[in-house]
Amino acid sequence: MSGSKPDILWSPHHPDRYVICDSELGLYRIGPLGGAETKAGTLPLSEETAATLLAINSDTPYMKCVAWYPKHEPECLLAVGQANGRVVLTSLGQSHNSTCKDLVGKEIVPKHARQCNTLAWNPVDSNLLAAGLDKHRADFSVLIWDISSKFSPETSVASEKIRLSSVDLDSSSVLTKPLYELGQNDACLSLCWRLRDPKLLLAGMHRNLAIFDLRNTSQKTFVNTKAIQGVTVDPHFPDRVASFFEGQVAIWDLRKFEKPVLTLTEQPKPLTKVAWCPTRTGLLATLTRDSNIIRLYDMQHTPTPIGDETEPTIIERSVQPCESQIGSFAWHPSSQNRMVVVSAANRVMTDFTVFERISLAWSSTTSLMWACGRHLYDCAEDGTEGLENAIEKDIATKMRERALSRYGHDTVHVWRNHLLAGGNDPQLKSLWYDLYYILLSHMKQCAEDTELKLQGNKQSVVYSGIKNIVKTSSGTTESHKCWSGSDRQTDVTRYHSEERCLALRLCGWISRGPEIDVDVFLRSLELEKEWERAAAVALFNLDIRRAIQILNKGATAEKGDLNLNVVAMALSGYTDDKLSLWREMCSSLRLQLKNPYLCVMFAFLTSEPGSYDGVLYESSVAVRDRVAFACMFLSDAQLTRYIDKLANELKDMGNLEGILLTGLSKDGVDLMESYVDHTGDVQTASFCMLKGSSVDVLKDPRVQCWIENYRNLLDAWSFWHKRAEFDIHRGKLDPSSKPLAQVYVSCNFCGKSISYSCSPMPHQGRGFSQYGVSGSPTKSKVTSCPGCRKPLPRCALCLMNMGTPVSNCPGTGRSEEKMDLSRENKLAQFNNWFTWCHNCRHGGHAGHMLSWFRDHTECPVSACTCKCMQLDTTGNLVPSDSS
Amino acid sequence: MFVARSIAADHKDLIHDVSYDFHGRRMATCSSDQSVKVWDKDENGEWHCTASWKTHSGSVWRVTWAHPEFGQVLASCSFDRTAAVWEEIVGESNDKQRGLSHWIKRTTLVDSRTSVTDVKFAPKHMGLMLTTCSADGVVRIYEAPDVMNLSQWSLQHEISCKLSCSCISWNPSSSRAHPPMFAVGSDDSNVSYGGKVQIYEYNENTRKYAKAETLMTVTDAVHDIAFAPNLGRSVHVLAIATKDVRIFKLVPMRRDSTSTGPTKFEVQIMAQFDNHNSQVWRVSWNITSTLLASSGDDGCVRLWKANYMDNWKCTGILKGDGSPLTSSSGPPMAMSTVVGSSVQMPQNSLNGMSAGRIGKRASFAPPVRQLGSSKIYQHPAHY
Repeated sequence: MSGSKPDILWSPHHPDRYVICDSELGLYRIGPLGGAETKAGTLPLSEETAATLLAINSDTPYMKCVAWYPKHEPECLLAVGQANGRVVLTSLGQSHNSTCKDLVGKEIVPKHARQCNTLAWNPVDSNLLAAGLDKHRADFSVLIWDISSKFSPETSVASEKIRLSSVDLDSSSVLTKPLYELGQNDACLSLCWRLRDPKLLLAGMHRNLAIFDLRNTSQKTFVNTKAIQGVTVDPHFPDRVASFFEGQVAIWDLRKFEKPVLTLTEQPKPLTKVAWCPTRTGLLATLTRDSNIIRLYDMQHTPTPIGDETEPTIIERSVQPCESQIGSFAWHPSSQNRMVVVSAANRVMTDFTVFERISLAWSSTTSLMWACGRHLYDCAEDGTEGLENAIEKDIATKMRERALSRYGHDTVHVWRNHLLAGGNDPQLKSLWYDLYYILLSHMKQCAEDTELKLQGNKQSVVYSGIKNIVKTSSGTTESHKCWSGSDRQTDVTRYHSEERCLALRLCGWISRGPEIDVDVFLRSLELEKEWERAAAVALFNLDIRRAIQILNKGATAEKGDLNLNVVAMALSGYTDDKLSLWREMCSSLRLQLKNPYLCVMFAFLTSEPGSYDGVLYESSVAVRDRVAFACMFLSDAQLTRYIDKLANELKDMGNLEGILLTGLSKDGVDLMESYVDHTGDVQTASFCMLKGSSVDVLKDPRVQCWIENYRNLLDAWSFWHKRAEFDIHRGKLDPSSKPLAQVYVSCNFCGKSISYSCSPMPHQGRGFSQYGVSGSPTKSKVTSCPGCRKPLPRCALCLMNMGTPVSNCPGTGRSEEKMDLSRENKLAQFNNWFTWCHNCRHGGHAGHMLSWFRDHTECPVSACTCKCMQLDTTGNLVPSDSS
Repeated sequence: MFVARSIAADHKDLIHDVSYDFHGRRMATCSSDQSVKVWDKDENGEWHCTASWKTHSGSVWRVTWAHPEFGQVLASCSFDRTAAVWEEIVGESNDKQRGLSHWIKRTTLVDSRTSVTDVKFAPKHMGLMLTTCSADGVVRIYEAPDVMNLSQWSLQHEISCKLSCSCISWNPSSSRAHPPMFAVGSDDSNVSYGGKVQIYEYNENTRKYAKAETLMTVTDAVHDIAFAPNLGRSVHVLAIATKDVRIFKLVPMRRDSTSTGPTKFEVQIMAQFDNHNSQVWRVSWNITSTLLASSGDDGCVRLWKANYMDNWKCTGILKGDGSPLTSSSGPPMAMSTVVGSSVQMPQNSLNGMSAGRIGKRASFAPPVRQLGSSKIYQHPAHY
């Protein structure tokens, strides 16, 4: 180790201790971060852990390599290899017992001084320490010492030793005679003992990788390769060895040592450390110079020389434990996938755990499952309620909740559907009111116009939206009205026509034509405390006095805004003098008003007649109010242009307020498509388009696709009842969607369908089919085939012929079944149905069968072992929406 | 806000894949320990392992469920070069009572000569079809002509992608306007080989799959790919896990019915996030494709959500061990409020409802039942 490049060693026995060595040795203890502020000298390593410096040892200069003594006792004994080839045994422990004292401070000196590159303790025979040294012409480079052997003072070297050393050393503590000498006239760069066979030593020599056998030192197995640095044995596969050269890692299999079984992709910069993860099989971490990334190789399957050759499956990963450049790292010996990283400079340490690759999946009910390593994590949205949450809730969650609250099913009070949807979505509110007004106008038209009534629900103009209504406008009359309450003539032109009147009705401003009377509307707005909006609507109807009254009321109302009085005062000062101060100040100050309706009021009053851009393009004002305004004050040409522009804008944005303009026409489908593309809300799209059933938008493949997707969603959520209700709802509005009978039952004797006289019953379920016998009041005998009058089969339980009403079902009387009366009545109907197993063809009354299978798994017919109820897994699932 | 809890998985080695069934009540996991486990959710929402069996003689990479219309059917693929189809059967023993189920192998698909890296069932409307892709770059499409007999699968298509395949995803759209289509990703890390995501489309006339598109901008190794549930949308959305998370939009060009050949797409990148700092391993869409989850080498699971204007943002981060991320890199709580407001803002500008009126809207909505008898009920003709 040069002074600049640090290294880390974990204690082999204390899972919370490690040593950092750069220019000195520092022993650290790692612990939880809690209360770290109180203790001085603790260094935070991560969010949870911190390290405390326990001891420093700077006795040994020129450190090149360090190895930790693998035995328990002495616990903190380190062998330090120095630049001059000496190996010093030193300690960082506080408790120096007798055995430790013997060893600490001992020095091992080679015959010829050269750099010591690597040290390795034998993992089993812990007295043996192998040292790898640089090349010397006349000496060996791999020396194995027995530290327990007697440290005999050897005259010549010892005297030299004492001369060299600055520390005053007892000559008896110097060891000069190695147990084994290997690798003559060669250099050794890395050493590693084999774990399974501690007599074998792997050595990265100058140009080859060698295996020395201590039992027969004359023999060595070797292979010529450049990859001789950092030889390390995989702790999980003792035959698997990694070594590197420059930027390339080679993986060897000792059973087939001729060539590497694998070479990993070359890195642009030279590698500095390669280490197998001790807690996880096949995970190799590598570090290159000047990098802040640790590259991991996950070897799920590596080629082995035995068995057939397989292509390697290696997953390359990289992790970044810290921002700074990494000097070195060390895997924790026992903690899963954990390592400590030390920066190249300043000794900044980081405690870091490598996560396994996470695989994940969403369920249909918006819960997330992921697998990390061997563990599974289930993650669900926290069900905390609140208005803020409602806004950020995912549309999947919203749709589920809306399905449960019967959203879309209110066909009488259509506008109420937006309340069922939660009532906090302005777009939905606008949409359902649009649909409400469309249906209302349609019904009115039908009532007024008998011709239209005769045509039935044929294409009605109200479905085609304001955009098309105003296009057909003809016979527009202009008028100059007075400000009501004063005889002053205004120079404001108002336009009237039958179509404009209808448009105003669709906007909700008036409830009937032809005279424009917004009084009802204003009163309802006041009821809702929408003062600003009500004032604006009053003003647009040229009733300035009413507007001021409304603002006054708003200011005095409970929780009212007193500022409204100020606005009312400003309003009362209105003058139509073009050059007045009032006009000048209002047109500039109005932009500072927060409320868009107050803003457009002054915009209206200060604008030139015929140019109302300040009102029309104020995007915070609801579309319906702007459109109603346009219908009153824009000429035919202007109006068509404005509505077209607005409709296209809203269509591109997929804003549902645009349905007012497009209606449930093809344009409306285009708009809805844009809305679905943005939100995925097929639920609203399906229900909305079903309302336009009288128009042929339902035939549009896109609409059919939304409906199918929504049904599929309900199925996926196990909302089967809701799906069935939706199908019924759909069947009412779109008779063409009614499904045909799916099952026919024919008589055993005559072969005729026994249902020809009965109304066909809807069918559902896979394992069982039901047939209702509730129909045919004229038939006296429901227990026989209507064709040949032969009796129907008997119920396997009550042994009565099918068709017999079931009077008492033993299952229904139970106390644990908490069913109200109406529900029981419903069930009683079903109890009469007969059903049979598709597998064994035994069956009976549905009620009897249900109660039988509540307690049994096998068929009630004797000697039949069919497990009728278990044949279908889906059949056992309970719907999520049964309340 | 998402909260995670741990489940004792009891696999002996790394879990490679998790898969939910159609209803989200069953789950399958597969692992390097060569086994597949099936989990069932009880009434209390707890997961119980009801089956565990050795499926392959190598790591099992992926497991997937067929639509329940075809029964309880699983498919798995493995390093052992095979894919297998499994079906749950009702045995003579009382396994159900003991909370255990029995799965038997219906077939082994042995056509691949290399590790089978992914297996997926085609969308339900196409029938019972199974697709595999393998490390040698071949996509195979099998069909069970008789859904009652799952032991017979015929190899319908064999498509060579030239690059080692790592993942495959079907476009789930059931619209007739969209022909069957799948995307395949390659984990080949050589950037000079060009686009790593290929999209194939079925041609009705030639009755073959032909390449419709290659995403040339994705040149790094792709680890996972996922088409978003279409849900009636007119565009296709594709999430890709490569060195970052990418979301692509494929807009089918409107074409006249006379033209043949694959649909042309306008490919737009909607979002690209390198928050994982490194390789992204998995991406998964929720059922409405409004939430995307991704996992990466930072050891985190991140959730992404688009607002109304198609701006994608991170809405949550969870560490791989389920603990919330507490560092400054992005507390999920703060992130979610950001999204809440960003959703709100554009809506305001669009629909003319000012933010200050949200409270009023809430007061606009008294309980439905009350409304039924109130005066407003009679005169709802305002808004």
